[in-house]
Amino acid sequence: MTRRFGLRAAGLWVVAGLLVSVWVFPVLWGLLTSFKTERDVLAYPPLFVFEPTLANYREVLFGTSTILPNLLSSMIVASGSTLLTLLIAVPAAYGLARLRFPGRKATGFYVLATQMLPPVGLIIPYYLVMQKAGLLDTYTGLITIYLTFSLPFAVWLMVSYFEDVPYEMEEAALLDRAGRLRTLWYVILPQVRGGIAVTTVFVFLNAWNEFLFAVVLGGNKVRPVTVAMFNFISVEQTQWARLAAGAMLAMAPVIVIGLAAQRHIVKGLTVGAVKGGGRR
Amino acid sequence: MSLARRERRFAFALLAPALLVLVLTTTAPLFYLAWNALHRIDLSMPWMSGFVGVQNFAKMGDDPRFWNSLWLTLVYTSCTVVAQVAVGLSLALLVLQIPKGQAVLRVGAILPIVLAPVVVGLFWRTLVLAPDVGLVDMATRALGLGSHNWLGDPQLALLSVIAIHTWQWTPFAFLVLLATLATLPPDVYEAARLDRASAWQRFVHITLPLIRPAIMMVVIMRMMTALSAFAAIFAATGGGPGSATEILNLYAYRTSFTELNLGYGASLAMVLLGITLAVSFFMFRLRRKAP
Repeated sequence: MTRRFGLRAAGLWVVAGLLVSVWVFPVLWGLLTSFKTERDVLAYPPLFVFEPTLANYREVLFGTSTILPNLLSSMIVASGSTLLTLLIAVPAAYGLARLRFPGRKATGFYVLATQMLPPVGLIIPYYLVMQKAGLLDTYTGLITIYLTFSLPFAVWLMVSYFEDVPYEMEEAALLDRAGRLRTLWYVILPQVRGGIAVTTVFVFLNAWNEFLFAVVLGGNKVRPVTVAMFNFISVEQTQWARLAAGAMLAMAPVIVIGLAAQRHIVKGLTVGAVKGGGRR
Repeated sequence: MSLARRERRFAFALLAPALLVLVLTTTAPLFYLAWNALHRIDLSMPWMSGFVGVQNFAKMGDDPRFWNSLWLTLVYTSCTVVAQVAVGLSLALLVLQIPKGQAVLRVGAILPIVLAPVVVGLFWRTLVLAPDVGLVDMATRALGLGSHNWLGDPQLALLSVIAIHTWQWTPFAFLVLLATLATLPPDVYEAARLDRASAWQRFVHITLPLIRPAIMMVVIMRMMTALSAFAAIFAATGGGPGSATEILNLYAYRTSFTELNLGYGASLAMVLLGITLAVSFFMFRLRRKAP
């Protein structure tokens, strides 16, 4: 019996492993390619063993097609918008989750609804207004615009974490005349540290990966790495090893964060789904 | 000051910044978009600009490219969502049976989700789908199915962009459904097993109803993503060849920022908005009606 079970488990493992490798393999293939010469890239049958070269990385870091300024650009835009988002979203989420005030439901629904606006639709007004205001190709402009998609998301994610904090803690602090703000800061916030971390990860990833707003509202000064990668292929048409090296560098931060925060990401994704069933 | 009133004031103070930002960056632009949709705004011929009423919307009636993009949006959204849920759910059911090592598979599944769609599009365009040297093309050649122009042939191109989207987002469905399945009470299954219910009966009569809310949630979220999909297609095909992969999103973008016809682009975006709202309204109602 145990033997049969072991075989069955092994079989399941092989099938599941094969399916998951469909997701992993292309990325690993990209990593391999980034260490190849352009000639090795075109080899058929494909080369798994070859003499690795760092030339591609040298080129995308220090050569004429360097993406270092773009990495910096992405870093500024993504961290700036993440910080701003948290500053605004965390208090708002607490208000929505815990405080009683008229129009609470409607406010929550409004925040949720703003998430549904298609970015392609918003980009036209943004472009026209920012052009007039001289905000195209500025960090201020892009960071502000990123709030449109990160804020509603962050508010809703944080609401679900605030709802998990037991009411008793809050009541005890309030009875001690601790004041609302101090209760929030000293009693509630430490309870949702995990939630704040998850929200930070999600908002940062989304901001780092954003493309549409960056390509239309950015420019020569503010050009995040996603836009740089897109331009790369029109300039260096067939330099695929170089493209792979650039892509690996561009995606290194999100891959590292994603894998490190793996557990939290699954939780963040499921917060809506698991709880969503009961709410409303 | 009464306690309730103080609470109200505090709530207002906490929410005001968020609401102000959202009104300024989403609601106000929305009205401006609607206003623009009633104008002719042609950046290549600025002297022709002006108020035209609903002319932009009337123009869509006999714009074949619009109807094509509408059709492609329908095909793209339904195919990607159905594929994601079907593959994601099957894989989740499979992985659930594995006693050990689920974590490794979960880590693997995280990978596509964290990548930028534009990079995914570029990756597929070059290393995965390129004729002769792409992974898929090498595989079909090795299997004797021959080399194909995956992104250059109109029909294959649509299939390819659907595959790209499905590849990137199926892990989402998989991870969410796996987490949901793991929370199901085992005693229900025990009872069913005692009643000699077959595996299929257990799935249809127990599992499916229990995870229905989660499936609905996944469907809604995936539909929203599919309806606003842009970067991966833009990077892989740019909407081409011709307009073979030009879903409404790409048509609105190309009209606005390639052909510089912002007025018509705005009216196309309004249609997209209408579709998004209608779909989400319908889906949420469907979800509420759940037995």
